Amino acid sequence: MIYLDNAATTPPCTEAVERARAFLEENFYNPSAIYGGAFSVHAALKEARQGVLSRIADPAKFELIFTSGGTESDNHAVFSGARRGNAVTTKGEHAAVFESFNALKGRGVEPRFAPLKCDGSVDEEGLLSLVDEKTSLVSILHVNNETGAVNDILALARAVKRKNPRALFHSDGVQAFGKIPVRLSADIDLYSVSAHKIGGLKGTGALIKRKNLVLPPLVYGGGQEGGQRSGTENVFGIMAFAYAAEKKFATLEEDGKRILALRNLLRERLDGALYTCLSPEVGSPYILSTSARGMRGEVLVRMLWERGVAAGTGSACSSRHRFSRVLMACGYDEPTLDGVLRWSFSPATTKDEILRAADIANEVAATFRGNL
Amino acid sequence: MEKVVIIRYAEIHLKGKNRGFFERVFIINLERALKGIRHELHRTSGRYLVEKFDTARYEEIMERVLRVFGVHSCSEGLLVPNDMDSIFEAAKCVAPAGGTFKVETHRADKKYPLTSMEVSAEIGGRLLAHNRALKVDVHDPAARVYIDVRENGTALVYCSSRLGAGGMPVGTAGTGLLLLSGGIDSPVAGYMMAKRGMTVEVLHFHSYPYTNDGAKEKVQELAALLSQYTLVERLRCVNVAHIQEEIHKKCAADLNVTLLRRFMFRIAERIAAKVGAQCLVTGESLGQVASQTVEGLTSSNSVVALPVLRPLIGFDKEEIIERAKKIGTYDTSVLPFEDCCTVFLPEHPAIRPKLSYIEEEEAKLDVEALIEDALKTLEFIRL
Repeated sequence: MIYLDNAATTPPCTEAVERARAFLEENFYNPSAIYGGAFSVHAALKEARQGVLSRIADPAKFELIFTSGGTESDNHAVFSGARRGNAVTTKGEHAAVFESFNALKGRGVEPRFAPLKCDGSVDEEGLLSLVDEKTSLVSILHVNNETGAVNDILALARAVKRKNPRALFHSDGVQAFGKIPVRLSADIDLYSVSAHKIGGLKGTGALIKRKNLVLPPLVYGGGQEGGQRSGTENVFGIMAFAYAAEKKFATLEEDGKRILALRNLLRERLDGALYTCLSPEVGSPYILSTSARGMRGEVLVRMLWERGVAAGTGSACSSRHRFSRVLMACGYDEPTLDGVLRWSFSPATTKDEILRAADIANEVAATFRGNL
Repeated sequence: MEKVVIIRYAEIHLKGKNRGFFERVFIINLERALKGIRHELHRTSGRYLVEKFDTARYEEIMERVLRVFGVHSCSEGLLVPNDMDSIFEAAKCVAPAGGTFKVETHRADKKYPLTSMEVSAEIGGRLLAHNRALKVDVHDPAARVYIDVRENGTALVYCSSRLGAGGMPVGTAGTGLLLLSGGIDSPVAGYMMAKRGMTVEVLHFHSYPYTNDGAKEKVQELAALLSQYTLVERLRCVNVAHIQEEIHKKCAADLNVTLLRRFMFRIAERIAAKVGAQCLVTGESLGQVASQTVEGLTSSNSVVALPVLRPLIGFDKEEIIERAKKIGTYDTSVLPFEDCCTVFLPEHPAIRPKLSYIEEEEAKLDVEALIEDALKTLEFIRL
């Protein structure tokens, strides 16, 4: 099977799974217990925390809270960060941020949604016009999970802080972590990441937080994670996460170049009469969004699966939410929205797979069109 | 004091010489409904008792039994030794907290020292003395406390009853093949036929890859919900995607649905023969959609020899929804998955198609080959 839905999840890397297994079977102790074995788990956890954090930020200025994944990290950032006035985000956010913002209404905070450019990145002017002195939080997706467009979060954070230095700045970095080179600046207060998009396990993620920033917890209890996220730590998941991050960051740049070439190859090979490219020229190498205009993306996905190719639509397809909210905000028409297919890659993707997938995709779409 | 469930049956008592057959099927159905719960089921003078179960599962047993067709009503009963003190203790438990009441005694054990009237008077008197909020009204009481003095030295005491599903035991009125879509209507249609005692086998048409696995899963859930009543725990699925493609390519667009339905009926008839079904059952209701006009129904009927039963034919959508809610299939039916592929849905379906026009268009297809192909996709799912 040719797996090209890595933005949904990546297959866990073997060594990470082995690492997890060791902490499931041998070092299974509760890191909060006080005997020797438990303390060594505690120490391993500390090392893992430093390991993941240092890949992207200065551990002297930032700290890391392990969570159950990107969605929890986003919820934590939004609900703990936006507690008064208004909060600003974009129309291109993943549902974890978008729906949290909608829920802010019930908590007396006014959510504001900034418009997108046609590639899915945020319209900077539109965004800044929504930020005022009453803004308590601004949240901007780092890499758009549907189009692969990259927001320059460092510049955006700078601009936001210039307008309102007291506003917190959060970014959902789930599709960027380990894929887009970035170093968190002092303007960024919160950053969400996830393990299973880079070869780790599902159910593990983290919220990276500027030190000295005091946020109320989302989950209360026994005081783990410095009291900021209670609950016995998901030790095996965290260990796998640390390993996967180490491995992914070691080859981040060369992976990026190689995968960009694969993405461009797929873009070239897909029949232009059948597929239109929606992704920006300069975006994440890991995501290529296309549309088989006039066809149904979800049907193509199933036809592809029958032929041994796994791809995504990039949206939850149902008759109620037939079209992707994000791509609608980009301004595409209905036939384009109907036919969306998202291809996403990992370092394990090969050139041969891309060539075969392109052939199959062309055949399948031609068959489908023939049936219409 | 042991808690028991008393089951009274509905129409079976009207049966004459074949009553034994109905009762045998009824017992089998009750046992199937209670599968997985430890219990004993006994027949006793005109009703059934569920005994010796874990009282923590009482509610569950009650609910399952109430869903079995043929059950008129059920009561929570207390089984006690037949001395007056024990009977009084049980009566205290089942009697209402206040209001008017009456005690009625039935004495199967004719050697019992007190007559029925005496038992009623004695227990009624004791209840009155025990609870000042109670008042006797022998003509029009708000509640009746029943006492059955049985022959084996025990007595059964009970009060209120809950209404069951009614109808006839499933398996006493032949077999039908239900065409189950993912919608609101067809599960209700299946329910109604099962209520009259029909064994309802289930067939679903999907059009993968045009419809998704979620839609099939939803139908599976609907079939499983329906099986609580029909006791048929299997589902058959046939893929008609290829037929839809052919119709779409070769025939007039306004007949898409009409022609597809004719194929569905033909395939259903073949499967009915395999499963021993004597009729087809659908959830069609007159005039609800374009294919459910009398012309539409006629066009489907004309391709099969089996009778097609449509128990919802005279129902309004509102009435169907109400029933679907009552039997618990509504929430699943409205889950947002497409059951019939909208890729091929015509903008203006024919509302009153003439048979000659339909046949002319259908002649462009190799009907037999398409049916054979579709039958090859037949899938058997155990729920």
